[in-house]
Amino acid sequence: MDKMEGSFSVEDMQNVQINIGAVVKEVEEWDQPMGPFPYPSIATLRDWDFKLINRYRVFYSPICDRCTLCTYGPCDLTGDKRGACGIDQAAQQGRIVLLAVLMGCTAHCAHGRHLYHWTLEKFGDLPFKMGDEILVDAPLTRTITGTKPKTLKEFGPVLGYVEEQVAQLLACTHTGQEGNYRDFESKALHAGMLDSLGKEVSDMIQIIAYDMPRGDEDAPLVECGMGTLDKNKAILITYGHNLAGSAEAMFYAEDNKLWDKVDIGGVCCTAIDNTRIGEGLGYPEEIQTKYRMVGTKAKIAGAMGWWRKMVEANVMDCVMVDEQCVYTNALEECQEKKVPLIATNEKIMLGLPDRTNDPVDEIVDDLVNFRMPGVAIIDPIKAGEVGVRTAIAVKPKRADERKKAFITEEEFKKYAESCTYCHSCQFVCPPHIKIGDVVQEAAKGNLEPLSSTYEICVGCRRCEQACPQDIPILSLYAYANQEYIKNQKFKMRAGRGPVKDTEIRRVGAPLVLGTIPGVIAIIGCANYPNGTKECYDIAREFVDRGFIVTTTGCMAMDMSLYTDEDGKTIWEQFPGGFDGRNICNIGSCVSNAHIHGAAIKVATIFAGRNERANYDDIADYILSKVGACGVAWGAMSQKAASIATGFNRLGVPAVVQPHSVMYRRAFLGRTDKKEDWEIIDARDGSRVYCEPAPEHMLYVAESVEECMLMMAKLCFRPSDNSQGRMIKLTHYCDISMKYFGCMPPDWPIYVRHASDLPLKWKEDMMKELESKYGWEIDWKRKAILSGPIRKSDVSFDPTNIERKIRVKK
Amino acid sequence: MAVDTTKNAVPFEMAQIPGPEMAKAYNTAVIGAIVKKAKRPLLVVGAELFEDPVMFDKAIEIGKTGVPIAATAHSIKGFVERGYTDNVTMIGLHPLTNYLRFKDWQGLDGKGQYDVVIFMGIFYKFASAMFSALKNFNRDIKRVSIDRYYHVNADMTFGNLAFDPEKYHEAIDEVIAKLAA
Ligand code: SF4
Ligand code: SF4
Ligand code: SF4
Repeated sequence: MDKMEGSFSVEDMQNVQINIGAVVKEVEEWDQPMGPFPYPSIATLRDWDFKLINRYRVFYSPICDRCTLCTYGPCDLTGDKRGACGIDQAAQQGRIVLLAVLMGCTAHCAHGRHLYHWTLEKFGDLPFKMGDEILVDAPLTRTITGTKPKTLKEFGPVLGYVEEQVAQLLACTHTGQEGNYRDFESKALHAGMLDSLGKEVSDMIQIIAYDMPRGDEDAPLVECGMGTLDKNKAILITYGHNLAGSAEAMFYAEDNKLWDKVDIGGVCCTAIDNTRIGEGLGYPEEIQTKYRMVGTKAKIAGAMGWWRKMVEANVMDCVMVDEQCVYTNALEECQEKKVPLIATNEKIMLGLPDRTNDPVDEIVDDLVNFRMPGVAIIDPIKAGEVGVRTAIAVKPKRADERKKAFITEEEFKKYAESCTYCHSCQFVCPPHIKIGDVVQEAAKGNLEPLSSTYEICVGCRRCEQACPQDIPILSLYAYANQEYIKNQKFKMRAGRGPVKDTEIRRVGAPLVLGTIPGVIAIIGCANYPNGTKECYDIAREFVDRGFIVTTTGCMAMDMSLYTDEDGKTIWEQFPGGFDGRNICNIGSCVSNAHIHGAAIKVATIFAGRNERANYDDIADYILSKVGACGVAWGAMSQKAASIATGFNRLGVPAVVQPHSVMYRRAFLGRTDKKEDWEIIDARDGSRVYCEPAPEHMLYVAESVEECMLMMAKLCFRPSDNSQGRMIKLTHYCDISMKYFGCMPPDWPIYVRHASDLPLKWKEDMMKELESKYGWEIDWKRKAILSGPIRKSDVSFDPTNIERKIRVKK
Repeated sequence: MAVDTTKNAVPFEMAQIPGPEMAKAYNTAVIGAIVKKAKRPLLVVGAELFEDPVMFDKAIEIGKTGVPIAATAHSIKGFVERGYTDNVTMIGLHPLTNYLRFKDWQGLDGKGQYDVVIFMGIFYKFASAMFSALKNFNRDIKRVSIDRYYHVNADMTFGNLAFDPEKYHEAIDEVIAKLAA
């Protein structure tokens, strides 16, 4: 590294040439030497990817057997057929997977790019400071690019890198480019990694520019739920993921002392980010002096799955949409309810006239008098002002609409009675609600089924489209749940941002030894197979068991809708630190990156690994030693695909809900193939057979019970010591007993020593190991003499990377 | 009169149209005969059995005719509660299908790959995708659905019986009778 002059080639990577003008300066200011893979190109980390997919076999379940992408098509690819271009079914699936992951990745990265330009314009360049307790401040940026930005502007080259890579990857999906599924998957893993990087940049920019909490476990509790929106005020809903316009609406309300006239409620991740503003360290000054704690004045109206239920409940006077996960017919739905809509981001303009350059008064006047259903305003400041002023001015004009918020009793009856019980609706309902039965009961006057399935309905309106009687099923739901809607008032912890270095120091050893059984990341969207309650159930199960539970996005919002017997939400029941028996809300979807970041920091801060441009080494450490598992129980958009794929490349497995088969691809291990589980002992380079841990990388569970069992199982790591194994086995077996009524059949594979056995089953387990599995037991010493896959060995140093071998045998 | 299981042969989720190769709906006699003839059949059941618990008893009856059972999701619980676990193995549907698609897999009992898999009581979209994995990547295995849905990616399926539980139960009983004969 010391002979840097303009460019250099990296050992073992002759094809990597890096221009290091900017890098040389870095080296002087950062004592860590440059690692082998700064700014990795689309094939740089292919070896690592192949290591992953050799063990975690790429599994495809095509949703469509055809390809229709070029003029040769449609081609039938069923079975071993090939398309006219020569592509086979596996490669075609890989191609579609890569496209999906790229969609997700670009959504996050373009979000970051927008914030980058906007915040530089608004605030100028700001120092990138995360505070004294976060010195490893942008772990993904450091690990992937080898740079350490010191100002917001210095994230520019990082975004530029992502954008260049995305263009290269997208090109690979063109007909006649990549033709091998394994290479498609390596590219998808690359896109997943870029996604994580794009998220980190996005969140770091907004944390700095809007002074959001920097790892604050005591981030304030904010109001959450439709019932928190004050009907006495005008209600402005800000919906999407990019807070730029929404933040300006909040600033406008603050500057003009309008909070007693307007409530601002967010939907989807904008909701979370609104409530983080001004709660950080006190800079930039503009936020500190004018908008300190303004985030606590905004409300979380709800997760994405509640949008159409909010439309039906008529809890809004004006809507601002920004970007990502916005129902694309939001304009039509709003128009029907006389709710003016403002599109605030170039990515979603919905065919609306661009009024960015028109005077505010004129735009407000047009909207308030319903001369047009909506407008596009691409200037966040103007959009924010128009949003607040329109909401306030249109409220009296919507008095009639507000009054007839719900259908009348007569209408309800008429609709319910018109149901012919034809079942058409049931053919299309994603969570399989027996809507025909529900509506039939409603006709008889029994509203209970409409109440009990309200949280299960994902608000897709497919039933309404299928119903030959044109029954407005969501209106029936709203009618039957008026009381619930009014009382949907809960508290949620504002997104705290990154995990602090001090927290990592505290939990590093217990995590790597396994005595904290794992880090659980509960993330993603709101397409649950069986309702929002399961978010809470999953979180509670793992917090109670002493796992470190982190959350982001819609699942964090949806788990807030439930309380314990004392009326406390999960955020009120447990503290918000990165520790066992805590639950930390990291933030919005882009804040996911800090969960990757926490795993990286275990490798760097606790284990002293150099992260700089050293992605595969860090990922290898995490795969072998950091028990962590993601769960996206409502995985919906392509972003969930890119998020999971990004976790996977970093060595973190993920469990997803059954609809996630729509993503078409999983990474599943074969425990019957011993050779797949060979791992290197870094002490001497010997190759040893290790138990399959973690067994899978991307796994679809059919029920929440299976999901929880798999989460516990995927936290096993080859490095777990006896105490850790005992704790992890206890939870794995206990969850199995609780929900499956029996022990999991594979528990013995995780046993290396008698002291790994959970105390409460020790005797029985030893008997079973002897009688059923033929292990040799010394009953006097209560010791296992033979049988385990590996013997217990405290200094075992598992790795998958040859360059980590310390002394070659 | 045997139940006509060939009616309503449209995908349960209507937009589930995969391509030129789509399942045919058969009557219970044919499906029963195919399963009976199989050398290595495997009944795969899922968590939807809990929604209609009598189906556990019917699964057990099938198990008693000698067809081994893979209990996916947490469905093993239903068998444990009924005290029948003899030839029932707890395994996730995802890893199970992953094993099934490899010709060299030796089965849950180590005695060889299966030749006929029969799905019952599994979340529709998930089952459909797993049938698709086998349809595309291991065509040696015959894919049979005796679920209450028309399963487009199976080889052989019933038409939709989802809204007529009685008829569906009858159809399953007919299959069982065929197997036990
Ligand atoms: S890209 Fe290939 S498989 Fe797809 S339609 Fe064209 S020739 Fe057929
Ligand atoms: S709107 Fe609700 S009830 Fe209707 S199909 Fe969608 S999820 Fe089912
Ligand atoms: S589609 Fe309409 S008419 Fe038919 S069962 Fe459903 S609600 Fe009733």
